[in-house]
Amino acid sequence: MTWYLLRRLGAVVTVLLVLSAIVYALFYLTPGDPAVLACGRGCNAERLALTREKLGLAEPVYAQYWHFLEGLVAGRDYAAGPDVDHCAAPCLGYSFQSDQPVLQLITSRFPVSLSLAFGAEVVALLLGVSAGLLSALRQGRPEERLLTGVTLVGYATPVFLVGLLLLMVFCAYLQWLPFPAYVPLTENPGEWARNLILPWAALGLIQAAVFARITRAGALETLVEDHIRTFRAYGLRERQVIRRHALRGALTPLITITAVEVAQMMTASVLTETMFGLPGVGRLTVESVGSVDLPVVVGVTLLAGTAVVLSNAVADVLSAVADPRVKLI
Amino acid sequence: MRMRPTALFGAALLTTAAATAACGGASGTASSAAFDPKTCQGGTLTVLNQGGLSKFDPATLYTSGGGALPSLVYRTLTTRQRVAGEGGFKPVPDLATDLGRPSDGARTWTYTLKDGLKFDDGSPITAKDVKYGIERSFSPDLPGGAPYLHDWLVGGADYKGPYKGGELKSIETPDDKTIVFRLRAPHGDFPYLATATQFAPVPKAKDTGTKYQNAPVSSGPYKVEKYETGKTLKLVRNPHWSRSVDGQRLACPDRIEVTAGLDRSVINQRLVSSAGADARAITTDASVGPEQLARLDSDPALAKRVARGVFGETKYLAFDVTKKPFDDIRVRQAIAYAINRQSVVNAVGGSALAAPATTFLPEGKAFGQQPYDHFPAGESGNPAKAKELLAQAGHAGGLKIELSFPNTDGEGYGPKVAAAVQDALKQAGVTVEQKPLGEEDYRTLVGKPATQPALTLQSWGADWPAGGPFLIPIFDGRQILKDGGNFNLAQLNDPAVNKEIDQINTLTDPAQAAPRWGALDAEIGKKALLVPLYHPKTVVLAGKDVKNTYVDQWRGWYDVASVSVK
Repeated sequence: MTWYLLRRLGAVVTVLLVLSAIVYALFYLTPGDPAVLACGRGCNAERLALTREKLGLAEPVYAQYWHFLEGLVAGRDYAAGPDVDHCAAPCLGYSFQSDQPVLQLITSRFPVSLSLAFGAEVVALLLGVSAGLLSALRQGRPEERLLTGVTLVGYATPVFLVGLLLLMVFCAYLQWLPFPAYVPLTENPGEWARNLILPWAALGLIQAAVFARITRAGALETLVEDHIRTFRAYGLRERQVIRRHALRGALTPLITITAVEVAQMMTASVLTETMFGLPGVGRLTVESVGSVDLPVVVGVTLLAGTAVVLSNAVADVLSAVADPRVKLI
Repeated sequence: MRMRPTALFGAALLTTAAATAACGGASGTASSAAFDPKTCQGGTLTVLNQGGLSKFDPATLYTSGGGALPSLVYRTLTTRQRVAGEGGFKPVPDLATDLGRPSDGARTWTYTLKDGLKFDDGSPITAKDVKYGIERSFSPDLPGGAPYLHDWLVGGADYKGPYKGGELKSIETPDDKTIVFRLRAPHGDFPYLATATQFAPVPKAKDTGTKYQNAPVSSGPYKVEKYETGKTLKLVRNPHWSRSVDGQRLACPDRIEVTAGLDRSVINQRLVSSAGADARAITTDASVGPEQLARLDSDPALAKRVARGVFGETKYLAFDVTKKPFDDIRVRQAIAYAINRQSVVNAVGGSALAAPATTFLPEGKAFGQQPYDHFPAGESGNPAKAKELLAQAGHAGGLKIELSFPNTDGEGYGPKVAAAVQDALKQAGVTVEQKPLGEEDYRTLVGKPATQPALTLQSWGADWPAGGPFLIPIFDGRQILKDGGNFNLAQLNDPAVNKEIDQINTLTDPAQAAPRWGALDAEIGKKALLVPLYHPKTVVLAGKDVKNTYVDQWRGWYDVASVSVK
């Protein structure tokens, strides 16, 4: 187990190093020049050179990348007018466009994204697993056909369409809910939830469709296996068979898929946050790509990469716990 | 990635609007019936915006006339006149007692500060604070402001700001009330420039460099309670400001809360719904799109909540005349003749949102526009005349060219306009290959003469409502910037044009300067260096309880300092 975790950690670090190098390289291959953008309309050559220096763009790319890696380990200093700003390790860089360390920018947005993902995941699991189980147990009946149809539609609908429909129906026409505006949980839990209901629903419904299909397939597969027949033959109650054994069998692929879905979820949350005007990490990404704020893009990419790789590792461990057939070597 | 949801939401709205559509020709401006400036104080104004909160430092902001939100916090030596109609084009004194006293042939400008001016901590505003505010805008740590000060002030080109460069000698403060600017050349437009946020006072003791924007010292009616980059700005009253020292800002609401990062369609939908606090909401950057216009026609009550205006701006086709085949004036003329302006206007939403343009200067007396149409294409183009000119230029068998443009339609010169241009030129036997580019990449490529595509779609807006800031960056040969940030895309360096620009710059009376700019525009127009396409119009919505919502002429948007929510 320890050996496994160590190996996994080594792989994580390698993947992230490669990822950061790729993002750096990609940004230097595109013609957009952050210095020109920061300097503004009618900037002359001299001011452009000064701006380039200030943004740390005067050095060659590999030197910039090296300083970035140094900053991760040892922290860095940045000029900030009359004073010098210290960016403590792990320093993900400094956004000159918003004059904040990248890590601070991301952490200030993180609670929003976490709130969104948490609620959406709850919606997805509750709806998805129950719909999946139900349709497995009602195989061949009209209920199953209806559920399969609904989940197919859910699976195929892009999140921004669901979001738009929800906004139009509940905020614009019925006016049951406010147009979402993020309220921190610590400030007002009631308003936090009220404002997030629609984003949760939009993001959760689509995830639920995926979960429902996986659960259904897994449960169907398990239900026809020999040990289930044996349990039934022993006279175990159907409810126990399903809860203790069928559901458990369906759980393994569900855990794996949840890890893969973390990446999907991040993509979808970019759209959800943009659609609902939630100031989360997803929208930060969109804004930073739009304004060629390289340090922020690199920082977000690295953190997103970390999340995906880590969630996959966690899923492997959880699978082993849920299904004794899976071994960690 | 942002455009798709926007477009879809628009489509959905359009469908619902069409379903209930009835004929109706409602128009007009938002209601101001019960508005009385004497009793307008109170309430919280909500501002719903797409962007615009990426920075709030007076040194790094690039505004026209001081901007909508910044000018609530930062008073400047002069400001735009806060009235509806043509009067809105005029600069008026703000912190200063007058528009400035020119001497030495408009090379020296002297200002005197009004009595009783105070910062939000109660300390007096002095000439030194104004000088310091300008000086710090030269620091490379605080880039982004308008370039004029660097070009105009003596020693400005080499000055690196107060953190490293000491004081700028060309700004003198003989006493606490007087400030003198010494310019390298005559600039009659100085009172217009003095509306920029760089002219706001900053007390040196409170300067925290790049952190200053988080807690700036206010000289205007409001002070910053909370500012979060890209997210929110909350303003509350500045107790040391009063209308007795500020003749321009009414400052009716007690609080102003700005949220940025919203989708344009969502903003407009919220303003339409006007539910809860949204009834007292406006936007300073989300125009009503073509998809919502249909709904306005069928809903007279909603149409009353709309204000229409114009920001001096021109969208155009720009040639690099140093590159083939555009080095031949006949090819450029042919393209000018072939343009179908009606289809361009339709592409951006129709006549409510755009007016066809044949002049580079926008409409309005302030710009000095003299109507001209050197290559009359009519409403829908003159392909026969274009073919004739192309044949003369040796392209009888047709011509293949590339057109570069930004790959989104947000700024009004993207793929839709490119398609309209492509269609029109096809009629004249010109095959256009489309080259869409990411917006930031596009700006970078176009800004460097070495990488500039030969034919591009462009947009130019006014830094202030006069001919100078329109014609100088685009046609002054000394403004060709080789290292980036260039806007003289034709690479025109004509001594006669340069000389006329210098002469008009010496005029300190806008009424004298305007017709000269207009005449210069008409003269340059003969060279067919660019093809004007259209001048955009603004249509903006307000929540149902917002009053005194006129569109200010200088900027083409609501003046936040004038609206009331009581």
